[in-house]
Amino acid sequence: MKLQVTQENLSKALSTVARVANTRNTLPILGNVLLKTVDNRLSVSATNLDIAITHYIGSKVSEEGAITVPARLMQDFVSSLPSGVIDLELDENKLHIATDQYKSTINGVSAEDFPVMPAITGGTSWQISTSVFKKGLQQTVLAASTDEARPVLTGVFLHSFDGDLHMVATDSYRLAEKTLQKSKSDTSLLVPGSALQDMLRILGDTEEQVMITHDEQQVLFQVGEVELVSRLIEGAYPDYRKLIPKSFEVTATLSKADFTNITKVSSLFARESAGSVTIKIDEAAKQVSIRSVASQLGENTASATAEVTGSGEVTLNSRYLLDALHVFNGDKITFSFNGKLDPCLLTEPSAKGYKHIIMPLRS
Amino acid sequence: MQDDHLWQAVLGEIELSISRGNYVTWFKNTRLLRFKDNVLTIGVPNVFVKQQLERKYNDIIMELLAKNRTTPDKIEYKIHTDLSKNSANQEEESISLNPSSSPSSVATHAQMPMSNGNSLSHSYRLGLNERYTFDNFIVGGGNELAYAACQAIAANPGTKYNPLFIYGGVGIGKTHLIQAVGNAIIANKPGTRVVYVSTEQFVQEFIDAVRYKKNTDFAGYYRNADVLIIDDMQFIAGKDKTQEEFFHTFNALHQANKQVIISSDKPPKDIPTLEERLRSRFAWGMSIDMQNPDFETRCAIVQSKAEMKGMVLPPDVVEYLANHIQTNIRELEGALNQLIAFCEMRGLEPDANIVSSLLSANKSRPKHLSARQVIERISKHFQVPMDDLLGPKRDKDIVVPRQVAMYMLRSELHLSFPKIARELGRKDHTTAIHSVEKIEQELTFDAIMRQHISEIKERLYA
Repeated sequence: MKLQVTQENLSKALSTVARVANTRNTLPILGNVLLKTVDNRLSVSATNLDIAITHYIGSKVSEEGAITVPARLMQDFVSSLPSGVIDLELDENKLHIATDQYKSTINGVSAEDFPVMPAITGGTSWQISTSVFKKGLQQTVLAASTDEARPVLTGVFLHSFDGDLHMVATDSYRLAEKTLQKSKSDTSLLVPGSALQDMLRILGDTEEQVMITHDEQQVLFQVGEVELVSRLIEGAYPDYRKLIPKSFEVTATLSKADFTNITKVSSLFARESAGSVTIKIDEAAKQVSIRSVASQLGENTASATAEVTGSGEVTLNSRYLLDALHVFNGDKITFSFNGKLDPCLLTEPSAKGYKHIIMPLRS
Repeated sequence: MQDDHLWQAVLGEIELSISRGNYVTWFKNTRLLRFKDNVLTIGVPNVFVKQQLERKYNDIIMELLAKNRTTPDKIEYKIHTDLSKNSANQEEESISLNPSSSPSSVATHAQMPMSNGNSLSHSYRLGLNERYTFDNFIVGGGNELAYAACQAIAANPGTKYNPLFIYGGVGIGKTHLIQAVGNAIIANKPGTRVVYVSTEQFVQEFIDAVRYKKNTDFAGYYRNADVLIIDDMQFIAGKDKTQEEFFHTFNALHQANKQVIISSDKPPKDIPTLEERLRSRFAWGMSIDMQNPDFETRCAIVQSKAEMKGMVLPPDVVEYLANHIQTNIRELEGALNQLIAFCEMRGLEPDANIVSSLLSANKSRPKHLSARQVIERISKHFQVPMDDLLGPKRDKDIVVPRQVAMYMLRSELHLSFPKIARELGRKDHTTAIHSVEKIEQELTFDAIMRQHISEIKERLYA
């Protein structure tokens, strides 16, 4: 193997894939990245056997070949090199890396021992714009459970319903649903939330399309020069639609900045009570107020003006509320609920297509 | 079965020929699914394993199969979910969004009827201090039983342990516990009429009622309560008219299955001049002895009190405090407050030296007690003549006071065992050792003995 790449490209590729490589594994080679020449390009890959990421970069290949080298060392080394052309040359299992001023040799492990990168043969493909997909991920992945006891809830459910493509996640305390785009085909994919967290990091601010290819067991995301393969979670996603209330008795629409502020302030007093704050909506006063009590520290009430129909109060975990407010785009938020123990719904009046549900605290 | 053995044999050989990491990663969760029409199907947990086996290990597996006299035409690898997860996720998952439950303290606060302005319940909770809750009560060996009984009562007032009579020394948390019951009942069921009153206040109100001829108001107020909590019942002793009034109140409430909780520093039978009919009624429900907190509990108390005041104490300071103030939590808290104030004013970090200097400056107990004084006091207390105590007689009613004397000489004056023996006219110091141990043991379970000791101490240091 003998080739030339630019430092910028190689460094970027390594930072994309290296975080997946993990040395705390039974198989030491999983802490390495695979460098391999493919059709006058260099592919840089890593896997943790749950997902695999490959980043292709342009290069001038004069001799084909492949090698694996420790991910962390390689990444740190390449990122400290000056920008410009890097020569890579393989001699037995030693990778020589040279620029004008630096020369180093990294002892690698034969690419033969590296797991075979999974490939999807056949399967269905469709595309989605990167910005839509990224926004959808930002707004839903946070609600996915991390509790492995219920594997299905650790996933984000991508599916078509009523001619639209939806993305939904829930940990049974909160639920986020985003409508992505029109969809003609019948889709139903349950992708691990952790893989999508990685996906979120990979997606840049490009105008490109994300190509999604999947078969029964795995899914491949392709965007630009990067590919991410993940297993799919098996099992049926619960019928979450019946949990979303159709109508609400109490509704308040207020500025997102105000809502975030009063929630933040109240959460300071809610630390000892697991973040519990009480939201009171008052139709006569046309305001939303949030109250929190810390038995030792004191208490707090913060309010903001709002357009209100109906009056009532409900107790929520302020952390969930802040998480939710954080991922909304618009300036206004609509907050609706029924009874003290019924789901609360957050939406934005300016844009349809995103619903965030938080369950109240039982107090 | 046969097939299973075959695959086990193959795995066994593979394990020896490849590295441990490789074996665990690629072969651990594999299984032979079937062997039919000369096609061998291997179940694998995920797609990575599938591809690895297909591309890397297929030849080795074939070879080893041949060694075991099996030559399939083809090996198929199939992803088999049961291998990766053995739960039955195939069925439709049902979920319901749960209102997440919050820690109990939250629940309590949320339901404190402070804001709902119900004047009735409000006036009926006068006297209860909200600061006293079950959450900030520290449970240890000495108060477990009392705590459990109080919790049971808070959950179902009036049905269990009625009346509840809690007794124990000064400053060990009686008031805290019984007020916590009141607060918990109000929190669970706002609107419950909980009356908390100290005996002194009860007596005073009764006197006023007699004076202003408002007897019916007084009786009505107490007899309409759902839960009546009376603190420091020992002060009712000797006040005959109040006792009579209380007796009627008690009967009225008990008849109506209303909860009555009483605290006192002595068990009912030891309260002098308590009327017999009251005494027997107090013994009716449950009497619980609250004992001095053990070392660990005292440590926990110091820590939690310090935390409430926003102070983190090093462990040696906590232990020093817990070690040196053994009987009275109020005193313990006082010493802690003193320490915190001292350190804050001077901007010091609390350490063991500061505590020890503070505590020694604070020692009030006279050190000039003589062995003679102690023995005299014991002789008076048990009404045994000094001569008998010091003499050779070994009647039971003399032996026990003598043993108590030895114990007190040891615990209060820290005399050596030979010296104790000499003071009591014994020849052998082992007698003293035995006696001290015996009394120490009795103290752990015998309330009467504790009562004796604390009374003697009170008189000695009075």
